[in-house]
Amino acid sequence: MSDTAALVKIEGLHKSYGGVIKVLQGLDIEMKAGDRVVVIGPSGGGKSTLLRVLMGLEQIDSGSILFSGKPYISANGSGKTVIDAKVRRSIGMVFQHYTLFPHLDVIGNLILAPTKVRGESKAVARERAMALLTRFGLAAKANAYPAQLSGGQKQRVAIARALMLDPKLMLFDEVTSALDPELVAEVEQVILQLAQQQMPMVIVTHDMWFAKNIASRVIFCAGGVVVEDGPPEQVLGDPKEERTREFIERVFHIKH
Amino acid sequence: MMSFNFAIVLKFQEALLLGLWTTLKLTLICIVLGCVLGFLLALARASKSAILRGVSGVYVEFFRGTPVLVQLFWIFFCLPLILGVELSNMASGIIALTLYMGAISSETFRASLKSVGREQLDACVALGLSPWVRTTSVVLPQAVLRAAPTLLSNCVSLFKESALVSAVGMADLMFVGQNISNNTARPVEVLTVVALIYFVIAFPLTRAVTVVEQRILKRLAV
Ligand SMILES: Nc1ncnc2c1ncn2[C@@H]1O[C@H](COP(=O)(O)OP(=O)(O)OP(=O)(O)O)[C@@H](O)[C@H]1O
Ligand SMILES: [Mg+2]
Repeated sequence: MSDTAALVKIEGLHKSYGGVIKVLQGLDIEMKAGDRVVVIGPSGGGKSTLLRVLMGLEQIDSGSILFSGKPYISANGSGKTVIDAKVRRSIGMVFQHYTLFPHLDVIGNLILAPTKVRGESKAVARERAMALLTRFGLAAKANAYPAQLSGGQKQRVAIARALMLDPKLMLFDEVTSALDPELVAEVEQVILQLAQQQMPMVIVTHDMWFAKNIASRVIFCAGGVVVEDGPPEQVLGDPKEERTREFIERVFHIKH
Repeated sequence: MMSFNFAIVLKFQEALLLGLWTTLKLTLICIVLGCVLGFLLALARASKSAILRGVSGVYVEFFRGTPVLVQLFWIFFCLPLILGVELSNMASGIIALTLYMGAISSETFRASLKSVGREQLDACVALGLSPWVRTTSVVLPQAVLRAAPTLLSNCVSLFKESALVSAVGMADLMFVGQNISNNTARPVEVLTVVALIYFVIAFPLTRAVTVVEQRILKRLAV
């Protein structure tokens, strides 16, 4: 495979809820290994749905997704969604609402998947977990339970938990929008750190500053299709499409 | 004027302790069996099969909606006729109270299973956890934790309701108490002591329910 081969290739992706609510209506997106894609768009436009499909959490109606050139998700003839579980394990996701396991402490949250899925020994997993927590400034919280953490700490733990599985792609769905404003920066810093280490990622955010700083590419998604796709300076700074321009002016209060 | 004579109760200390032992044994056995039955019923009530849902639903509503005393008589007198075998008092008592405990604890488990949200399951899938690991390491512990306070209340109820087995001649604490009170013609003293024994055991447990509940709610409040 040449190094220009797409990390993710989405082709003709259609997704509805119950066949009635048509959410994604023919998405084509190609993502290269170095890409950090920020997805923006109006509420209900299907951003979360796109990420959930990419994570293998949803059934699709038609279309296909390749990961590193290998089939990952497709809809077969009888309309059933086929998902390659092995590929899915190389993708990590952090959700808007904290999804830590409340009955486990921070370390317990981090080592559950490595020990149960990969059969890693507890000692090795704990060691890796502590290293990650230290890097994220959370070493002191290793034995705290999620309920004892702030929202920002919870999200950083959630990111660390996903990283424990060495993902090749990370998905972030509005991970700071449930946070108090003063806690947003600490979470965004962690994601920026990952970006510096060339972690491929798809990010849904309404934070203009963050979008500009992290994106190598911005996709404006509305009505279930890609309306505009390009480098951040262009899509955010000088959008070609009228709908993109309107959205950016309205949401980010920027006049062009 | 009638005078109270609690000293008389002391004479029957041993008999009362024996009765208490029977009560505790019966209650503990039925708690364990009843919780297992209750968990299975809760799974059945949430299952995809309409038959399983229907049967378990009828079962639970029937046992929650009829007096335990009637259930007890029914098992004691009718079950041997249906099965064609003699059942000991202990066996009838265990069957009846287990069926009852199963019904009430299944409601508790059902509510707690529902409280494990879709987001938790999404997180499991995103972490690549298999359905088995998901059930045993994420859903079950959270469901049991959430169910614990109500289950503990269920247990206290069962402990008190178990006094009903005296009506079918099982020699539990209540039965022994009634016997002594009949023989001594001292119903007030004897039954007061019996009530106190039940209370001394049940009260700390009901207090514990509150403590356990607060702790668990604090832990799971995310
Ligand atoms: N589980 C579901 N069942 C039915 N409809 C759903 C479900 N999830 C999402 N939808 C619908 O699909 C559409 C797209 O939702 P989605 O959450 O993907 O939008 P979004 O772009 O992430 O919006 P937001 O910015 O508000 O998060 C919406 O109309 C939503 O109501
Ligand atoms: Mg969304």
